[in-house]
Amino acid sequence: MQPILQIRDARRTYATPEGGTVNALDGVNLDVGANEFVTLLGPSGCGKTTLLRAIAGFEELDGGAIHLEGADMRGIPAFRRPVNTVFQSYALFSHMSVARNVAYSLEVAGVGKSERMQRAGEMLDLVGLSGMGARKPSQLSGGQRQRVALARSLIARPRILLLDEPLSALDRQLRQQMQVELKNLQDEVGVSFVFVTHDQEEALTMSDRIVVMKAGQIEQIGSPREIYRRPATRFVADFIGETNMVAVALTGDGKATTDGGLVLAVPSDSGTGRATAILRPSDLSLTAADCAPNGAIPGTIRQEIYLGSELHFLIDVGGSIWRVTARDDGRDYHTGMRVALTYDPANVHLMPEAV
Amino acid sequence: MRKIRPWPLTLTLYSLLFFCFIYLPLVVVIVFSFNSNVLDMASWESFTFDWYLGLFGLREVAPSQGTSAIYVESTDQLLNALKNSLIVATFTTIISTTIGTATAIAMARHRFRLRGTYQGVMMLPMMMPDIVLGIGLLIFFITLGFKLSLLTIIIGHCTFLSSYVFIVVQARMAGLDPALEEASADLGANEWVTFRKVLLPQLMPGVVGGAMLAFIISMDDLVITYFIAGTDSTTLPMFIFSMIRRGVKPEINAIATLLILASLIIAGAGLYLRSRRVE
Repeated sequence: MQPILQIRDARRTYATPEGGTVNALDGVNLDVGANEFVTLLGPSGCGKTTLLRAIAGFEELDGGAIHLEGADMRGIPAFRRPVNTVFQSYALFSHMSVARNVAYSLEVAGVGKSERMQRAGEMLDLVGLSGMGARKPSQLSGGQRQRVALARSLIARPRILLLDEPLSALDRQLRQQMQVELKNLQDEVGVSFVFVTHDQEEALTMSDRIVVMKAGQIEQIGSPREIYRRPATRFVADFIGETNMVAVALTGDGKATTDGGLVLAVPSDSGTGRATAILRPSDLSLTAADCAPNGAIPGTIRQEIYLGSELHFLIDVGGSIWRVTARDDGRDYHTGMRVALTYDPANVHLMPEAV
Repeated sequence: MRKIRPWPLTLTLYSLLFFCFIYLPLVVVIVFSFNSNVLDMASWESFTFDWYLGLFGLREVAPSQGTSAIYVESTDQLLNALKNSLIVATFTTIISTTIGTATAIAMARHRFRLRGTYQGVMMLPMMMPDIVLGIGLLIFFITLGFKLSLLTIIIGHCTFLSSYVFIVVQARMAGLDPALEEASADLGANEWVTFRKVLLPQLMPGVVGGAMLAFIISMDDLVITYFIAGTDSTTLPMFIFSMIRRGVKPEINAIATLLILASLIIAGAGLYLRSRRVE
């Protein structure tokens, strides 16, 4: 299937105030398919917003190409591109009513007033703001403004909707609610979404695919599960959720030895050589030291953090700290207690040591 | 025991004194514009509208003994000066608002060489002493062979009032989210449509404020105008000034009161427009 959006070797360099240069985009390749929800995830300064703005037409690339439905976008100004953007600040026009905001692209395109108002009304129904068309944006709450911005950018039926951290201004509860609504809305309207965020939870919740970026380059592209379970680099493993990372030597028989002399069980097809083993805190279980099975990792509880449904532990394993998440099963754990960590070898992810 | 709090009281007194200091002269002008005493303006005789009526030639003010009481020699002169001032202020306002607004937008949205220098050059006429600006303009016009007229006054006023409008609109521009224009472009509007439908309406409070400032300063300017006005282009401030030189007469109070009234109406209209816009 032909992707809607193709980005090939995109490059963009900025001059810093100190006289140096920084590569905001350093050879980025990405395809986005029809009706796909793709998230660009990374820390600030990783180039995700620059990429989004280049797709929208607010930034020119220094090199590479962006194709939308096969057409090269080079030199095409933002107002001629079949994409629309939801801005972080919403960028609603405060001097216009909500309905006129939503219908703005139709007004600009010369659509008659009665059709404009009718379609604006339908869009407002879709985002759950029926009957609010006559209000001014200043009379709406943050969540409602967010929906107006969505309605405004979807009314022109773009091929791709670009979203620049649209939920960051909302409080946590509203944000979680909007995450679900956004995903449902995307299914309903059948438009590809390219969503920029630095919030890994947001990315995992909504995306079909996540693009993890760092310093202008793509670190990994994959489904939320792949990104979480099989991070390609240390950076990805660190950025997405909490991890335990340990350097090991693979011995080729389903075993790996840490530098501290600890022997870990790993998937049996792992080969030999140096590697970094990754174990998520939720994949480790805690048992008392005296009834530990063979191959369990011995350790001492350093700290216990109570989070209601979950318990977080910091475990001292031969001098390094491991993180463990466990359900609160009522058992009594306390700081200084000798414990053992058990795990399923299939959940141990190995990656080449260099990355 | 009652607590004595001396500071709030002192502060109140101080504020009252301060407002008296600012507004008492204006109150005096207004009050004495209704004083019928011809000989001594500072002592109250009785209430009269004579000076106002006299201004507009509606009432002959009889010269009393020992004074030449017809101070406004010709109502035509006064009305002509007012007309000149209004013409100058109107054209100056239109031109300087256009230039100032366009410059503010260009400076905020475009990066070009010598941008910093340009910014400084825009501010300079505001810092420049009026007298220097007046002399400079006069020499400039004479060198180029311009005949001094209303046109030279308009050009002269535009040179420094464009800066005032620029400053006011630039302040508004600085508070404007650049994403608004991007959003407009994103939704299919080219630059002209974006300017008309988004940028200008958003800047309007600043533009109106700058225009009002330009209008009032242009109406009010004496020093610069004095240098670059021709013989047949006397403005209202010049007219009043020439009247004063022959002694402070009651008609002056009446003119001043009318000017205060006009200023209040303009300022009030501006405030009203602004409050309607902000919601």
